[in-house]
Amino acid sequence: MTFKGNPVSPGIAAGPVFLYTPFKPQLEENLIPENAVEENIKKYEDLREKAKAELDAIRAKLEVEDPEKAKIFAAHNDILFDDAMDEEIRDAITYDYYSPEWAIHTTYEKFIRILSKAKDEIIRERVADLRDVRSRLVRIWYNVPEKNLSTLEKPVVVVAYDLFPSDTATLDRSKVLAIVTEIGGPTSHSAIIARSYEIPAVLGLQDAMTLLKDDEEVIVDAVLGDIITEADQATLAEYAAKREAYLVKAADTKKYKDVVAITKDGVRINVEQNIASADAMELEGATCTDGVGLFRSEFLYMGRETLPTEEEQVELYKKVLIAYGDRPVILRTMDIGGDKKLDCMEMPKEENPFLGLRALRLSFANLPIFKTQLRAAFRASVNGNLWIMFPMVGSMNDVHRVKSIVEEVKAELKAEGLAYSEEVKIGVMVEVPTIAVIADIVAKEVDFCSIGTNDLTQYSTAVDRMNPNVAGYYQTFHPALFRLIGHVIKSFNAEGKSVGVCGEMGGNPLTAAVLMGLGMRTLSMGIASVAGIKKLVTNITIPELEALANKVVNMATASEIEEYLKKELAELI
Amino acid sequence: MYSRSTTVINRTGLHARPASDFIACSSKFKSKITIKRANDEDEANAKSIVMLLSLGLGQGTVITITAKGEDEVEAVDALIELVDSGFGED
Repeated sequence: MTFKGNPVSPGIAAGPVFLYTPFKPQLEENLIPENAVEENIKKYEDLREKAKAELDAIRAKLEVEDPEKAKIFAAHNDILFDDAMDEEIRDAITYDYYSPEWAIHTTYEKFIRILSKAKDEIIRERVADLRDVRSRLVRIWYNVPEKNLSTLEKPVVVVAYDLFPSDTATLDRSKVLAIVTEIGGPTSHSAIIARSYEIPAVLGLQDAMTLLKDDEEVIVDAVLGDIITEADQATLAEYAAKREAYLVKAADTKKYKDVVAITKDGVRINVEQNIASADAMELEGATCTDGVGLFRSEFLYMGRETLPTEEEQVELYKKVLIAYGDRPVILRTMDIGGDKKLDCMEMPKEENPFLGLRALRLSFANLPIFKTQLRAAFRASVNGNLWIMFPMVGSMNDVHRVKSIVEEVKAELKAEGLAYSEEVKIGVMVEVPTIAVIADIVAKEVDFCSIGTNDLTQYSTAVDRMNPNVAGYYQTFHPALFRLIGHVIKSFNAEGKSVGVCGEMGGNPLTAAVLMGLGMRTLSMGIASVAGIKKLVTNITIPELEALANKVVNMATASEIEEYLKKELAELI
Repeated sequence: MYSRSTTVINRTGLHARPASDFIACSSKFKSKITIKRANDEDEANAKSIVMLLSLGLGQGTVITITAKGEDEVEAVDALIELVDSGFGED
């Protein structure tokens, strides 16, 4: 059988299926004989020691790889030995003759109820940790081995409904041959993780958990999006050869990583990097890119209970600016809201958060926080070539308002005698269709723009990209998008202002080819895509790209465009 | 029985790491220890991270710590000192 999914991280793999399901026990009241109290207290204590051993092992592993994640499991240890819960569990065994697992279940349930009523959102979130610890205890009670992605015994193809950050935090990269999930698209968390780990992944295979069986041998072709079961020897051999060919090609592509991106007819293309932190590992990209086309600043605000201070931000921005020297670093101000919630900021509950108070709108609603970020950015600007970009700009009113806030901030700094660079460029992220349509007007008032193609696609096609029911309507190759983006490129080029792309379209050679054909000369992408894009650029001419783009904008459907590009560029991707 | 009150001064309050530090300290003592808001009746087991969190003691809250047992004075004094230290936050 061959099943079709959405290939989001290329590669080919074959191996046994590992169905990844969270443990869900069916528990009911279970009593012990009156004379067995002592023995069951002992069982409870043993159970807790086993759970502690598991937590210690996970922690030891994470302390090295990801100390932030290790903290989660330290908190789980505190819960496991919580004095009040311990007392209640012992009482339930001793006086109510509850069996240990039932005592644990009911006691945790009671404390989960107490915490769920807390006024503070941060405390309510701890409920998830209590559930996690309880399920660990009950699972050990039933002698069910821990099924997570850190303790895989052999290399497997992981099949899941979806993968969450907590699953991938402990994922053992050396044992995951491929990832297959029921939901998720190219911009989902699973996809981003798979690409950064270079693990082949096919997402959006409906009913994958029932179609595929545990331990069954499957072939995952994450180039075409095929999952093949019950393959015969000939098919297996065919895929083994295909895999070899793919690896050779991937190795060839890697060679392009450090070249300077110049087309065959001598046009320089800026290949820039998207980053989401100031980590040394991310900044290594400075050795093979022409700048930072998107510096996401959300990490500053996430996973903490207090707001980042101005000083803290100055230091981080400075670090990135210094790493890139003269090359531009485009800092995007906080893009929070939508699906991202924070501990350190109050946010309204909304029916349609993607259409709600997010990004620049949230900044306008929290001016002091916004100004702190801008002050920090301007203060850091003396260390390099800083450009500041605003997300979710929808109208010229937004542009005017943001520019006046920038002027206020500069005046404040001047009055306080704090230095900043006069060369800082101010630009907008093009992701709301209305701003794209009036790009000719916008281009006169800002220094640059960058196209956020993920949200531009979501807003233009009216598709919530988190909603699996409408995933098929999210068309990256929709001809309307190429026309709209073409208009933005033309408008900015006409004013002599820089225009770039920082969404998925910039890192995908198929779409990047069209954008270059439409006149774009700056592409920003995740580090994993850099080599592939440079390979394309180095082996093609501008007239060829223009011919390609000209064809595409006159086609009627997304599938027609995708097929055409795949055929035309087959040798170069 | 021995009891003292103080004000939570650190910015994050008795959440996250400070809460963890508080429990690590209280658990060292044999006495039965409780904590509550000074103006409230609801008291919680001061050795329970979950109960402590459920009180939601933010910065500026006046709290009362009470202990009963052989090391009650040392226990309360040590915990009050810890809260007054601000848990090493600026």
